[in-house]
Amino acid sequence: MVVVFLHGWSPNAPFPLIGAYRYVAIALPAMLLSMFVLIGAALPAKSLSVVEVVEAQRGLWNVVRQPLGLPLFMALGLAITLRGPFDYADGAELAGGTSAEESGPALALWKFARAAMLVAFSAMAATAFLGGHLGPVLPGPVWLLLKTLAVMAATVAAGRFFVRMPPARMLTLLWVVLLPLSFASLALVGVEVLP
Amino acid sequence: MAMNWLSALARGAEIPVFAVVGAQGLVPVEGLRHRPGLRLVDSPRHARVLLVAGAVDGAHKTELERLHAQIPTPRGTVWWQAPPLFQRGEAVAGDDPLPAIRAAAEADDPDQRPDVPPHPWQGMGPHGQGGRGMMGGNPYGRPMAMTADDIRDGLALDAYTARFGPFLPMWPPGLVLDMTLQGDVIVSATVVSPPIEQGRRGDAPALCAARMLRLMGIGPVAARMRGALMALPKGSGMRRRLATWLRGEAVAETPAPLSEALPGLEWAEAVLWLASFPPSRLRAAFLTKETA
Repeated sequence: MVVVFLHGWSPNAPFPLIGAYRYVAIALPAMLLSMFVLIGAALPAKSLSVVEVVEAQRGLWNVVRQPLGLPLFMALGLAITLRGPFDYADGAELAGGTSAEESGPALALWKFARAAMLVAFSAMAATAFLGGHLGPVLPGPVWLLLKTLAVMAATVAAGRFFVRMPPARMLTLLWVVLLPLSFASLALVGVEVLP
Repeated sequence: MAMNWLSALARGAEIPVFAVVGAQGLVPVEGLRHRPGLRLVDSPRHARVLLVAGAVDGAHKTELERLHAQIPTPRGTVWWQAPPLFQRGEAVAGDDPLPAIRAAAEADDPDQRPDVPPHPWQGMGPHGQGGRGMMGGNPYGRPMAMTADDIRDGLALDAYTARFGPFLPMWPPGLVLDMTLQGDVIVSATVVSPPIEQGRRGDAPALCAARMLRLMGIGPVAARMRGALMALPKGSGMRRRLATWLRGEAVAETPAPLSEALPGLEWAEAVLWLASFPPSRLRAAFLTKETA
């Protein structure tokens, strides 16, 4: 979030700056959302260790146990990879937004960074909700790779499918609908893991 | 060897083109979006080739030259069904600009503008700085952003005044506004020049709907099902106009004067509101106001 803001602030031009401020306003509630769903994923494991989170899914994957978790986490994925409905930093209505003033190597690097965020997000989603390396027959790393690729494909498809609202409406949706949903998800997980 | 292989790969890539839409240029440029071999980009800084489609008024020559200067070198220029306003690139009269764009992607135009700021530094203070403290002055022809009360909640925020247009890709082509913004909220807007004539074909429902949906990040397929109408703010008439276009019918509404309609809107809403009127109605609204 800080990097995207600085990326938009540094060119000293109106569109990148608008993109940067808008992104901070949208990404903050999106981050809060992911915080609650990730705590939800960690609760059954009683640990924040990724290894423990995967081990806790040996019986049942989190995507089934916490059906709201993965869809809400996908919202964060769209926000941090600046994609589709959450692309408030680099959208078409800002002529490229935070990257509007960049070209050549700097632009290529920015695109590479966005792709890297997509891979990192997808690997974490596959680990926290889809059982990471768990799976029959195939070796663990192959399973993790397949699941990561599936989440990547789903994120890209969601980015292309859903429409981008004006930021004020998206803020309302995030604070009034999605954030309470993430509380509810966390509360349900809490009730479920009570001994 | 490796470089040959890389340059062969680079030649096979799509050519990023920034399109300047002149008179009657909107329909041909929209037609280029589906052509393989080129990609229309939103910022001149992302482009390799500057495509001027349709005649551009001589009054916009300086803006066009500045746009040319913003294309990173090496750059090429193509004047498609447009008389060249300066001696760079080549002119194409036919229906297909792609061969000329390919040729321009190998070319390298020299600078058209001298490499100096468009306006000199105009500091206020005794040492040529911004003024009192770090505030005030008119650096590089733009008044320094100073705090003013926000029009919505009265909080003091920096108000920023600049000229927007005439070749912004998300705007009606040719429209130039002097606007003051606080964050992304428009505080005031003054029309400097009206949109350029696009003819009757520019009002085609499919084309207008596609332009509006592109600003919302999706293609025109199944837009209604994907929530395109729900995403638009209520009460602005945008939903109604987009729904009319999606049904394949023409919109005949004329916008309210921009200096009254735009203040209070956020940037994204203002852009969508402008895109929700057919180009001919937007233009007509300005011309009748001028003659009145």
